[in-house]
Amino acid sequence: MKKTPERIESLSAEYVLGSLIGRARRRFQRWMMESARVRQEVWYWEQKLGQLSEQVPECSPPASVWRSIENRLWPTVALASRSRNGRFWPAWGVLASAAALVMAIVLLQVPEPEPTSRLSGAIVQEDAGGLLWLVNETASDHQLRLRPVSATSAEGGRDYELWVVPDSGDPLSLGVVPVGDVYQVALSDRARETLGRSRTLAVSLEPRGGSPTGLPTGPILHVVTLYEQ
Amino acid sequence: MTTATQNLDQEELMRLLVLVARSDRQAFQALYGRISARMFGLCLKLAGQQELAEEALQDAFIQIWHHAGEYHSDRGSPLSWMLTIARYRTLDLMRSRKARGNGSDDSVDHLEDLRSGPLDESLREAGAQQLTGCLDELSDVQRDSILLSYYRGFTHDELALALSSPVGTVKSWIRRGLLALKRCLER
Repeated sequence: MKKTPERIESLSAEYVLGSLIGRARRRFQRWMMESARVRQEVWYWEQKLGQLSEQVPECSPPASVWRSIENRLWPTVALASRSRNGRFWPAWGVLASAAALVMAIVLLQVPEPEPTSRLSGAIVQEDAGGLLWLVNETASDHQLRLRPVSATSAEGGRDYELWVVPDSGDPLSLGVVPVGDVYQVALSDRARETLGRSRTLAVSLEPRGGSPTGLPTGPILHVVTLYEQ
Repeated sequence: MTTATQNLDQEELMRLLVLVARSDRQAFQALYGRISARMFGLCLKLAGQQELAEEALQDAFIQIWHHAGEYHSDRGSPLSWMLTIARYRTLDLMRSRKARGNGSDDSVDHLEDLRSGPLDESLREAGAQQLTGCLDELSDVQRDSILLSYYRGFTHDELALALSSPVGTVKSWIRRGLLALKRCLER
């Protein structure tokens, strides 16, 4: 079939619309490979009809879709991050990934564990391999302790804020984490119960003094899953 | 959404796409976070079933990962380009399942939807607002054929069934409708 301007025009539109099917569609794809003029016409329609796509209501896909994508592209990484994604809600996933730092989950042997410790873990900066804070919970008085190892002050006069990440719903703030000192915070009953179930903490970057809204506003720098000792 | 916000979004998507072209995994995840709900909404609307829509979404993002570097502005905004990838992939999956003979239930589902009219009113209105009002210039059957093909992935045969008209007639509605649309958009 000859590529007349009329045919290019109408077949391009039908290709983009999707009503061109089967052999006719494959033949047209070959035309696209052969001719810049055909491609231009297709792109024209993709832009014009594409406006219709932008009107369709949004619908969040289940978390399993992202895990499958990771699994197909990077099978080994997906395995390591499975537990993290499983109990992380979407909005945070976005923020976390926008952060320059990499989240990591490690099983930690605290050098001198307190006999009453229950949950513990480490906040690390994966790309640099640096151990930033050690975290542990004391069973007797329900305190959570963050011991800085190589954490440095936040840039731009900002602060780090610590959060309990629930299995679902909004995170609970555990306050701004000072750098350089051991940070010890008493867990409210709610925080303790939530953490007991999710075992997940996160650190976000916030304006000085902490999030003004009560929810994370800055990038999520670290997420850590705690383990029972 | 205001135009200014849309522009900002597109700039951000462009920035992420550039990073993805350099194999930046975090940018890829951020991109997924930004557009997956919108893309999944489209796949789901088109496919009419969850499982196929999920597969199409996965495939589309894998294509985006591998082909981000091939995006250029002639292909529309970054969002439009990515939604197009998802749409084509959904259509491909729908058709290949029908060809294997296990997609017949889907078309029945689609057709049952038509009892309350062939298109959601909301989509018809949304479609009319877009394309600078040019859809309004088409006849009702032209416009509905185009929107049903676009949003539901109807083939000529399915449209003929849905609109109780011969295939040849449906084909001509679509062809003439699209040409009229282009003439209007070019004015």
